This record gives sequence, C-alpha cells and structure tokens, in this order.
Amino acid sequence: MDQVMTDTDWEGLSSKQLDVMERKIAGKYMRIIPWGAVAWGIGNLFVWLALWPLVLTGALPLWLGFLIATVNISICYLPSHEAQHNIIAGRGQPLRWLNELVGHLSTIPLVSPYRVLRYTHYEHHLHTNNPELDPDYEVHANSSLHFLWKSLLNRQPASERSEAYPNTLQRTGNGHMIIDALIYQVIYLAILFTLAWSGYALEAALLWWIPKHIATTYIEYYLSWAPHHPGHEQGRYKDTRGFRSYFGNILSMGMQYHIIHHLYPRIPLSKTPVAYRDLKPILVRRGCDLGGL
Amino acid sequence: MKLLSIFFSPFVFGIGFITPLIAQILMNLTVIEDPIFAYAIGLAIGSALGLMAQFRGSWLWIR
Repeated sequence: MDQVMTDTDWEGLSSKQLDVMERKIAGKYMRIIPWGAVAWGIGNLFVWLALWPLVLTGALPLWLGFLIATVNISICYLPSHEAQHNIIAGRGQPLRWLNELVGHLSTIPLVSPYRVLRYTHYEHHLHTNNPELDPDYEVHANSSLHFLWKSLLNRQPASERSEAYPNTLQRTGNGHMIIDALIYQVIYLAILFTLAWSGYALEAALLWWIPKHIATTYIEYYLSWAPHHPGHEQGRYKDTRGFRSYFGNILSMGMQYHIIHHLYPRIPLSKTPVAYRDLKPILVRRGCDLGGL
Repeated sequence: MKLLSIFFSPFVFGIGFITPLIAQILMNLTVIEDPIFAYAIGLAIGSALGLMAQFRGSWLWIR
C-alpha cells in the first residue's frame, strides 16, 4: 500500500478487494523475528530462578522477591505464545531450535508444558467462542467481577475448567501430551512439598504458589476474557474484539490489539499495534468490534 | 495412576503444603512459638481444608 487511501477509496472496494488489501498489509508485519520476545522469555526465566538463591540466602527480602516473582510469572506466557505460533522460526528453518527452546523454557514458572499450551491454543484459534470446542470457553463471564469469581471457581478440584485441556488433547488425538502436564505437576508439587517441610513454606508460597495464582488470573483476564468478551459470536471478524484497557497497552500485555493476533497469528506481538492502525479501515468495513480503539 | 491421583489429591496438598505453611506463618508472626504446637495447628487446618476440598471438590466450599 504505497499511496494513502481515503475513505472514498476504501468505500469503493469490493469484499474480495478488501481481502487482498488486508493480506497485503498484514504480510508487511510477518516473517519478522521477535528478538525482544526471545530475550524476554529466556531472561525472565533466569531472573525468576535467581530469586530463589537470593531470597533463601537472605540477600533479597522475601516481600521484594514476591513482587518480582509475581511480575515474572505474569509475563512468562507471552514469549511461549510467540513460539506456539512459530513466529520466532517455523519448521525447517535454521532458528527452529530457538523457537522451541523459548516455547519450552518461558512457561516453566507457570507449570504449563509447551506442547499442551500449543495444541490446546490452536484449538482455541480454530473454535474461538464455541462452547463445545473452545478449550478457553470456561473463562467467559458477564463482567470483570464475574470473571474474577469464575476464575476462583475454575481452579477448584471439581471444576470443568480443569478438564478442558485434557479433553481437548484427547479429542484432537494428542492425548499422549497429557503426560507432559502430569510430569510438570509432579515436579511442581514435589518441590513445593519438599521446600515446605524443609522450613521454606513461606518462600515457596511467595515465590511460586501465590504468584502463579495471581499470574493465572492476570493472564486469563487479558488473553482470554477481555479480547473475546462477550464471546457470543463466532467467525473470523466477530470472535475477537479490540478494547481500551484502563492500564494501557503494556500493562494489558498488548492484548488491546488481540484482534490482529486472531486474524494473523504470525504477526509478532510487538507489531500488532502498528498492524492494527494500518488494518483499521478494513476492520471497520468488516464490522469488527474495535471498542473505541 | 492410582498413586498419581493420590499425590494430586487436595488432601495430600493440605498435608504436604498447607500444614507447614500455616505452621510457619504462625511461628513467623510469633502467634505460637512452640514448633510442635504450630505444626499441630497447621495439620488440623491443612487436613480439614484438604478433606473438604477432597469431598466437596472445592477449597472454598462453594462450587
């Protein structure tokens, strides 16, 4: 798109022409290696790991360790998310190993295996807002407060949410990946129990257990609830919305522009705001809910 | 598999984590100084919560 398009120019385009323009604009922002996400994913893990010796030796106060750990775990999902969509490198590319490394390492603090996240996330993209097939459907709620309440209920032992990912993996023929989740969970609980009975229960709670719960709420709010609310509609231009967060784009983890991610999952997170601005005239004509963004 | 489901059960979490956590909170806040008494209180609360979660399917009672 070399020349500036006016409103009249856009109005004159057919649906097929809009489609061609959309793909052409989106293409400008794909095939870009997000080096920031690579450094973020690996660096963030090392900062979180460093908290343990620092706090256990008394070099860092526990309250400060708690705050840093909460930030670490809250931001650990997104680099893996870039890897899940093969944004760092696709199959057969020289940096494929780095894509997989970032995918596996970054979500360790969240106790979430990469393969489980990847294949359930693909189903979320394929079936967004479908009550039967979207593995994140249980996150839907009527309001922010309702979301918080449901988020608490969703992590109770008997909740349907705890079955959503295993069921999705079974349904898609990836049931063998449940073993990854079991291994992660066994190691996590074994570490928590060992630390707790060795006299470090407060450290285990404040560096991992509680930050992980806070982070899960935060991640689900901005990645699953807010961009898909109210979640009644399905379809390419209807299942995700733009929204304006009270906390800005960085604190909402870039999710104000999540609609771009659902339309073009290979666009790196850092490029979704600029891609949104370029694509906005088309999204308006497609009838997307842009939430005043 | 049976062993795993026991390991993942809320009751085991109540004993394995909540019990020492409560005991160490009580001792850190100097509410109780005797470790045996603190762990006994921790065990009473941790196992009661764990049992509730085990049989109700919820740590909050409400589901």
